[in-house]
Amino acid sequence: MYYPEPIAKLIDGFMKLPGIGPKTAARLAFFVLGMKEDDVLEIAKALVNVKRNLVYCSVCQNITDVDPCRICSDTSRDQSVICVVQEPKDLVAMERTREYNGYYHVLHGAISPMEGIGPEDIRIPELLRRLENEEVKELILATNPNIEGEATAMYISRLVKPFGIRVTRIAHGLPVGGDLEYADEVTISKALEGRREL
Amino acid sequence: MILRELELTHYRNFEHVHVHFDAPIVLFVGSNAQGKTNMLESIYVLAMAKSHRTNKDKELIGWDASFSRLSCRLDRRGSPVTLDIQLTAKGKKAKVNQLEQRRLSDYIGAMNVVMFAPEDLSIVKGSPNVRRRFLDMEIGQVSKSYLYNMLQYQKLVQQRNQAMKELQTGKAFRDMLDVYNIQMANLAVKVLQKRFVFMDKLEKWGREIHAQITQGKEKLTLSYESTFPVTKDMSENEAEEVVYKYLTSIQEREIVRGTSLAGPHRDDIHFFINGTSVHRYGSQGQQRTTALSLKLAEIELIRQEVGEYPLLLLDDVLSELDANRQTHLLQNIKDRVQTFVTTTGVEGLYHQTLQQAALYRVKQGTITRE
Repeated sequence: MYYPEPIAKLIDGFMKLPGIGPKTAARLAFFVLGMKEDDVLEIAKALVNVKRNLVYCSVCQNITDVDPCRICSDTSRDQSVICVVQEPKDLVAMERTREYNGYYHVLHGAISPMEGIGPEDIRIPELLRRLENEEVKELILATNPNIEGEATAMYISRLVKPFGIRVTRIAHGLPVGGDLEYADEVTISKALEGRREL
Repeated sequence: MILRELELTHYRNFEHVHVHFDAPIVLFVGSNAQGKTNMLESIYVLAMAKSHRTNKDKELIGWDASFSRLSCRLDRRGSPVTLDIQLTAKGKKAKVNQLEQRRLSDYIGAMNVVMFAPEDLSIVKGSPNVRRRFLDMEIGQVSKSYLYNMLQYQKLVQQRNQAMKELQTGKAFRDMLDVYNIQMANLAVKVLQKRFVFMDKLEKWGREIHAQITQGKEKLTLSYESTFPVTKDMSENEAEEVVYKYLTSIQEREIVRGTSLAGPHRDDIHFFINGTSVHRYGSQGQQRTTALSLKLAEIELIRQEVGEYPLLLLDDVLSELDANRQTHLLQNIKDRVQTFVTTTGVEGLYHQTLQQAALYRVKQGTITRE
């Protein structure tokens, strides 16, 4: 190894992150070397805190620093709707709309036998327990529009049937603001499939 | 569509060649291992931005060279178009009329070709997966949503197979299988309907061409053998219903085997001449002619799509057809389709063929017109 050990260790550490190869890792490590100590300490603390202080919300399963999370403890929200998403990132995307005012449930994945993920490996049992206890009228399934996401949505809708809750699936197709002529063939044919009467 | 000029630099065994074409039939003549097929391949590469023989672009670059350049000039709907492809170890650049195309999918389609090589005989003789690949390639060329659905379908089959294998270990549940059945019915029907439409067109043109080549002696028919009890006159909903019911009925058997036993990934096409299976009972010549008819049918399909005939590339096939079939083949495409043919010698060729052809001798990486 050509680098002194502390630097080599830092480079190895960066390389464990996604999308970072040996060259980027070396560049980051040397950048850290040139930073102010306070800033470095700040980052180091943030890294450790993410691991130590974050937990899964006991209600919606989202990652949070307080349990139950801020959304679940917000009583001004509409209690009759739950939106089911795959990842915490999807929840953030939904929140950004400022249109949705119900609660969430984060699955942390989708059913995929190929990757060894069965229905019990994502937060489906937790969802069912919630439905038993809460007064929910509608369940919005906002999993991704691919094979795994669709299968997960369909599977959940079957499990939920006995509860007599209305189950809906988000629409997919043309992006808003895009012109029809710039959309690709697959998107347009999907949009055509999901057309509705006016 | 007419190819006027072709220039190759550091391409396979060609150091540098620059050829002009003016005849409807172009013959590349030469002994083995001189570069005849490389010539045809270069035209194919200019059209499809990849070789039909290899997936490694590196192999196309000549020995001791760091790059390879291919360019051509063609007449498309009466106006000239130039195409350039540059290959380096790092990747390729493709230009249409000197303008670089950022996406290869924007480049492909500027020139249309249909290639018939000895390997294509396997469409008739080979295993079912060769025929399925043929279907997928041909339909995929004109329908992107078919490609997408096919890809989704293949992924689904993998998930479904895995789910059936895991049923014993409790990782997957019966309900989950039912969900996969619904998804499979939906996707399979989409794939099947596209295949049915394509088969009809292929049969229509293939039959006509086959009759011409064989002077009406042989009637070619095709049939799509679906592993699902679906027929082409069913509506989408009807077909989905049928597939779903069928999947439920074979579920137990599938679970035992741990794999999806039926679906578009198990289907096959059959070819018949005058009612008898070409695959089983056809002579070598009949099998070859059938494969050729299918490829020529592609010419008509492309014309319907793009409004102009593509170029035809025949790798070492002419000499294997008798004089009759040769004449009728060329009669059929004459004046419409510019054809490039490789052959080891002109002795086996019918004299009428030779009259319309321009002869180019390929020898150790050089090419001269005779």
